[in-house]
Amino acid sequence: MDRNDSLSPFDRYLASPQGAMSPGIPVFSPMMHYGTGLTPQPVQSTDGLSTLEEEQQQAKVATGQLSTMSQQATQEASDQTPPLFNSHPLMTAPLLGTTPLYPSPMTPITPMTPPMPASEITELVPQLHNIVCMVNLGCKLDLKRIALLARNAEYNPKRFVAVIMRIREPRTTALFFSSGKMVCTGGKSEEQSRLAARKYARIIQKLGFPAKFLDFKIQNMVGSCDVKFPIRLEALLLSHRQFASYEPELFPGLVYRMIKPRIVLLIFVSGKVVLTGAKVRREINEAFNNIYSILKGFRKIS
Amino acid sequence: MPGRGSCPDCGSAELVEDSHYSQNQLVCSDCGCVVTEGVLTTTFSDEGNLREVTYSRSTGENEQVSRSEQRGLRRVRDLCRVLQLPPTFEDTAIAYYQQAYQHAGIRTARLQKKEVLVGCCVLITCRQRNWPLTMGTICTLLYADLDVFSGTYMQIVKLLGLDVPSLCLVDLVKTYCSSFKLFEASPSVPAKYVEDKEKMLSRTLQLVELADETWLVTGRHPLPVITAATFLAWQSLRPSDRLTCSLARFCKLANVDLPYPASSRLQELLAVLLRMAEQLAWLQVLKLDKRSVVKHIGDLLQHRHMLVRKAFRDGTAEMDPGEELQGQGQGPEEEDVGSSSLELPAVKRPASPALLLPPCMLKPPKRVCSTPPVSTVTGDEDISDSEIEQYLRTPQEVRDFQKAQAARQAAQSVPNPP
Repeated sequence: MDRNDSLSPFDRYLASPQGAMSPGIPVFSPMMHYGTGLTPQPVQSTDGLSTLEEEQQQAKVATGQLSTMSQQATQEASDQTPPLFNSHPLMTAPLLGTTPLYPSPMTPITPMTPPMPASEITELVPQLHNIVCMVNLGCKLDLKRIALLARNAEYNPKRFVAVIMRIREPRTTALFFSSGKMVCTGGKSEEQSRLAARKYARIIQKLGFPAKFLDFKIQNMVGSCDVKFPIRLEALLLSHRQFASYEPELFPGLVYRMIKPRIVLLIFVSGKVVLTGAKVRREINEAFNNIYSILKGFRKIS
Repeated sequence: MPGRGSCPDCGSAELVEDSHYSQNQLVCSDCGCVVTEGVLTTTFSDEGNLREVTYSRSTGENEQVSRSEQRGLRRVRDLCRVLQLPPTFEDTAIAYYQQAYQHAGIRTARLQKKEVLVGCCVLITCRQRNWPLTMGTICTLLYADLDVFSGTYMQIVKLLGLDVPSLCLVDLVKTYCSSFKLFEASPSVPAKYVEDKEKMLSRTLQLVELADETWLVTGRHPLPVITAATFLAWQSLRPSDRLTCSLARFCKLANVDLPYPASSRLQELLAVLLRMAEQLAWLQVLKLDKRSVVKHIGDLLQHRHMLVRKAFRDGTAEMDPGEELQGQGQGPEEEDVGSSSLELPAVKRPASPALLLPPCMLKPPKRVCSTPPVSTVTGDEDISDSEIEQYLRTPQEVRDFQKAQAARQAAQSVPNPP
């Protein structure tokens, strides 16, 4: 905490660049359920499994924060330790008051660092905001006819050579090209995106075209997260020159081009991070874990 | 050449003037004997008479380099001369421009982009030699848009694979401050506003350093911060006469453009100084405000390191869970100036240190970003017909639409009815 001269803060910012290249460890936080407000039940029923299932549903409803990824992660966790506990080791821990594997306080808020050496495990999971996907409808489209027969379509050939169509649920926008290819944007999850693309294909079918649903592929995913502490962007630039680009005269954020996984991150001084360029959700989570371990290196422990 | 004598060896009259590199020689074309040769070296007096022609002025360049590239190279030289850069900078900038021109994407780019490329090459050269040149200056000189400039700049840095160091703040302060016309009295600058350059520079540097330490510089354009710091430094050197002068008037006097964010930077800097002043015993009693704190900037800067440490708590540090702080259970997000009296309202205690965070983290969020509910969409649900039908036009709607379209076409085809 001693800042005697203006150079000393920068000495501590020399974090190793290994975090960027190291293989990402999947998001695995055994404390996920602790953090989601799971309190020990005062009355224990004899049928252990039924209360556990109830608690699972309670936890799901109560927070609304659990993404499918974390669900999978905790299932992975439970798969990893079958012999010692029953099928839900993490669920029983607060009930029984003992945690043989992970000694920890009972308070749900304190994050715990499990004995994992390489990259930082964090309970922060990036939230997806936009997914761009493409699908081939397999037939040539008459754009003028689509614009005539559909209520939610706009077509201005002088401005752009595609029909722009929007649906309300899931709230997305689609571009239809005369070749039969369609681009769908605005979905907040992979499943939502797929459902929206299917709805658009159904609309085109109802308009009389022999539309199919071929080669559905997610092209880009955009997510964001908040590390909740400020970041010295100049110092991050100095220590990660080969990946980072920071021009405060042009843009307030630092652009970090991670190589593995191939993701571009926009890092801001407030600690908010935007991740883009992913084809699968795993890449976003991996990239965030990597950058979190790098950014934690800049943080001083009081 | 005939009529120039004969070869002493073979007697032939076929003597040819042929230079061996730069040495003039008269050689017999039959036997190869060197009859006479010129002097390889020139004397000092001879050299005074020689006139060196640069490649760019010779005709050699015209034949090998395209006209648009020549124009670009000329513009690079002109820009370097206008900015009064050292001569070596010109050569480096020229080299970058030529390197950029090797790429097809640049050769086929629009003239506007090529013009902006000139500025990019000069900027990269200056950055690499720590010459503080801002993009704003170049854009003003080239009459270019900052958006176009930024796109070309990022592209060329990537294309040439260059490592461009960031703008050196200290050098920028020195150059920018020196451009303020306040160091000599003139008809527009009264004597009480004239200031000593060295004093103003050193104080501005200290203020900028303070701003950097307290998160006012990261992520922001550097120039408005320096403008605000210069203004405060100038005011504090003679507060009695200068407190009445506003920032806008100051910039007008100094013949410098006032950047728009400078006023908010000024307010932020004053807030930091006020917090620091609260830690000085002899200033606590004075109950300073934004205007009166200017008089004490000298003292505050003298002890700035200690004061910043005392006045602010580190915002990046992790909170120790056992640490007992009034009302602080979460992370370093809450401003606690008013919350210090949570537990003991009767006892007056000094305000606990505020968090040292960037201003964007201290302001309350404009809108609360609620986490979206867990979506149970699988992507394979059935799609009901009624849902799809809401997006299709009824036959009547189609007919109406076609009628409206036809009417519009008819109206458009008769633009100016007589």
